[in-house]
Amino acid sequence: MPMYRQSFLLTLVFFLLTFSVAEAQNYQRQRAEMVESQIRGRGIRDPLVLEAMNSVPRHLYLPSAQQRFAYEDRPLPIGFGQTISQPYMVGFMTEVIRPQKEFRVLEIGTGSGYQAAILAEIVDHVYTIEIVDPLGERAKNLLNRHYDNVSVKLADGYYGWEEHGPFDAIVVTAAAEYIPPPLIRQLKDGGKMIIPVGSPFRVQQLMLIEKKGEEISSMALMPVRFVPFTSSD
Amino acid sequence: MKQIRKNPLSVFSLGLHSAAIIAYQLLLMQLISAMQGYHFAYMVISIAMLGFGAGGTFVALLKEKLLKASGWLVPLLMSMTGFFMILSFYLARIPWLQLDIYLLFTDRSQLGMLAVSYILYFIPFFTGALAIGILFIKNADQIGRYYFSNLLGSGVGGLMIAIVLNHFFPLQCLPFIAFMPVVASVFTLSSKKRVLQWAGICMALTLTILSLIFPGSMPRSQYKGISGTLNLPGAEIVAHIPDVKGQIEVVSSSALRYAPALSFTFAGEVPVKKNIFINGDFYGVIPHFDTSAGNIHNYTTEALPYIMAQRDSVLVLNAAGGSAAAHALSGGARHVTGIISTRGVKNLLREGFTDGFKKAALHPHAHFVYQDSRQWLFTPELPRYDAIVLPRMESFGGSTGLNALQEDYALTLEAFQQMWDLLDDGGVISVTTWLDYPARTSLKIAASLAQTLRNNGVSDVDKHLAAIKSWGTLSFVLKKTPLTPEETENIRSFSARMLFDPVLLPDIVKEERSRYNLLEDESLFTYLDAIVSGRQPQLLSDYDFHILPANDNKPYFSRFLKPGTFKKLRDTFGTETMPFLELGYLIVWVTLLQSAILAFLLIILPLLRLSRKGGNKTPTLVYFAALGLGYMFAEIIFIQRFILYFGHPVYAISAAISTMMIASGIGSLYSERLPDALKASRMSTLIIALLLFIYMLVFTPILTTTIQLPLALKVITAFVLLAIPSFFMGIPFPAGIRILYRSQEDYIPWAWGINGCLSVIATSVATLIAVEGGFSAVMIMAVMCYLIAFAAFFRYSTAKGKK
Repeated sequence: MPMYRQSFLLTLVFFLLTFSVAEAQNYQRQRAEMVESQIRGRGIRDPLVLEAMNSVPRHLYLPSAQQRFAYEDRPLPIGFGQTISQPYMVGFMTEVIRPQKEFRVLEIGTGSGYQAAILAEIVDHVYTIEIVDPLGERAKNLLNRHYDNVSVKLADGYYGWEEHGPFDAIVVTAAAEYIPPPLIRQLKDGGKMIIPVGSPFRVQQLMLIEKKGEEISSMALMPVRFVPFTSSD
Repeated sequence: MKQIRKNPLSVFSLGLHSAAIIAYQLLLMQLISAMQGYHFAYMVISIAMLGFGAGGTFVALLKEKLLKASGWLVPLLMSMTGFFMILSFYLARIPWLQLDIYLLFTDRSQLGMLAVSYILYFIPFFTGALAIGILFIKNADQIGRYYFSNLLGSGVGGLMIAIVLNHFFPLQCLPFIAFMPVVASVFTLSSKKRVLQWAGICMALTLTILSLIFPGSMPRSQYKGISGTLNLPGAEIVAHIPDVKGQIEVVSSSALRYAPALSFTFAGEVPVKKNIFINGDFYGVIPHFDTSAGNIHNYTTEALPYIMAQRDSVLVLNAAGGSAAAHALSGGARHVTGIISTRGVKNLLREGFTDGFKKAALHPHAHFVYQDSRQWLFTPELPRYDAIVLPRMESFGGSTGLNALQEDYALTLEAFQQMWDLLDDGGVISVTTWLDYPARTSLKIAASLAQTLRNNGVSDVDKHLAAIKSWGTLSFVLKKTPLTPEETENIRSFSARMLFDPVLLPDIVKEERSRYNLLEDESLFTYLDAIVSGRQPQLLSDYDFHILPANDNKPYFSRFLKPGTFKKLRDTFGTETMPFLELGYLIVWVTLLQSAILAFLLIILPLLRLSRKGGNKTPTLVYFAALGLGYMFAEIIFIQRFILYFGHPVYAISAAISTMMIASGIGSLYSERLPDALKASRMSTLIIALLLFIYMLVFTPILTTTIQLPLALKVITAFVLLAIPSFFMGIPFPAGIRILYRSQEDYIPWAWGINGCLSVIATSVATLIAVEGGFSAVMIMAVMCYLIAFAAFFRYSTAKGKK
């Protein structure tokens, strides 16, 4: 190979490497800014949540056309009429279940896989169920590549995942007009469930449900819009 | 100008052409609603209709050249109108030109797509209006018959499409509508040009056939309710029915379940149910007809009226698929009457779409009536009921979005009064709503029930109201007589069993309101207490949302937004959520603003050119603007009143528009017989103002008195009532054109443009006035407009002294 060709090739490789490193650094900087202004700035204080949100590259969970907006303060479309939730909403829903390292968490509505990744950074195991096959496949590939404590199932989330229950916490990211009885059954005594409730075609309420023995109580937290968009704080 | 050859068949052409444009407007409304949503359709159509104003401007600027070329230009423009009716819609569906209105707040590139959509839909209206404008000017000496043809065609076109859309899908109708202007163009050609005539017909036929063979698809926003639902496993559209209110689709999937705000204590299987969508927006579900004690509604707050006491006879208003009726039967009712008012859904049920409904229809204790709920309340000699149940708010049919400004006569104080009159002594009215935040629907229901009690001389309102809440819903009960201790005990024990919380009871204790289901913001209780006690009216009027009861004069139950609260809502929900909120009120403002800006440009532009050619601009501007506004104000009021009278918006719109157009057309034709145009304009505007003033006083009482008559008699009454003022309302416009024809001929296209622009603006203005001041305020505005029109040409006469 003539010398000039080798030089050109080396230059190209160097350029690409520099570019990708710069891009990675850029995303890292954006992520740090996101955590500082959108997450900590709005009152999320749990160090496990803050660390997880600082570690997970949110842009990887988005279609390439949306990656440059990954750290903006808004939900983004991921196809099939679904969205990746606004970063704050992910942080809020994670913090509100008070995740612990030994937790086993069930997530209903894998979507992009980002929420499952955040949980996987904190808890022992995440079981996540997606009803839209192409979305579930995409998320499964991504999550399996980065985590060995995440199990993905393509199914109707209504029935939960009985063989792995009961769960310390259940995070539901798809709106429902009702709270599926199987999910309540699969919640541990003392467990928490976070779920957006109300008509799936209108604005919903984000609800925290706690199970204490036979008694189940709910707490309305904030109005949200989960399909297709999430609210800001 | 008078030397230009005139074709007598052009009067007929004009009628056909006008019919096509109106039909296309209504068709487009449905097509765009189905793809993007009603909000966007409303905004686009408003802009498109300004094509009439732009047409006037264009004619004003190039009048002589256009008239000279009118022999071939008018047929060409008509053909282009038909051609662009199809082409514009085709282009708007190309992926890289396609707008997704739901992304407008997050993706700035959509603004460009929005502009493209505006332009594309504007074109057929512009070419269509240009053809009409040239015909008007060319035949200004016979404007009466041409205006008659224009109005008659519009009336027939509107009526025709309203009928056709009940039987065919919009995409099927489009080629036929587009065919009409092309056919119309053929009749404007001279008989010597037969080759051209045949070529035109062949071209139009080819276009129609091609459009029928290749209708294309209707790409829907991925954020429309139906798009997401179709992503569910095994989801399929199992029924597709055309309806003038929008295409009805039924989606089936094993993952579609329905059990709104079910108690945590329910341990059974939530039933799978099919979802109904209208124009791609969620409308409701087709329920099971379960009359057993295991009925899922017995595990919701909707059970409230049945757990208080035994209810033998129950009336269910807006009974929809019959689930509330089944619930009443499961609660032990022996006579249940269900009122079903949605035609398309009625057809679904009638055709035996659900086995469940067959069971309902055959049930010995259930009786279903197909009628509008409020209409039905006017039926003489109705029996008394133990319970009257209203459908859950924001569920079946929805009450947000642009529907926020839709009249709902079933939820006005007058309607509640009629329900009160039908109650037995121990009878109850029951209403359930989703818990909304910030609270507004729940507060408005409470306010309506409390006011109904006060209107009937009840001073201790708290003794007659009960309410319980679950994690998602809040159910109210108004009882005609005070609640008994036994009833309050039943409510408390049911709430404890279901993990619900009592919210209103005669002896309510603060702590029991938040035992199982906590609210982050408990101001709901503060406002409910203020409503029940009636002691803090200022607190309620200062609330961020409109929560005062609706009435027949302002029947907008779902209108909550106040102009100043939009920012607060945006801060709470985020900008990107705005397309999904109660935007109806805001959309009307946005539409008014954009229409006003464009209308201003369309009127000012020719004014600059016409400024060299003499005076009388102000009287001309004022006269034709006042006519445009006044006519539409009156028309909108008549439509609103007829919605209550006929109990169906589509019938109301069809009856009002067609009667007005036809009667005004006859008035216009008659105006040609009045030799003195100035006198005709003055007299007619004065008579109209007087008639509308009289109508302001007598119209509603006449309608209320005759509302119980058989339909045929009601149609005759409506026709007579409308035809009288409409006849006179057809005179001022052609009379004004004749005045201009004799004195300021250059102003004619401009005057026509002003009239068209202001007609578009008037629809938004009238809606806003009706929302703020009620229908009577709009009627006063209509009277004022005709008085202004009278005064405008009075000044014209003084200035010019011409007739």
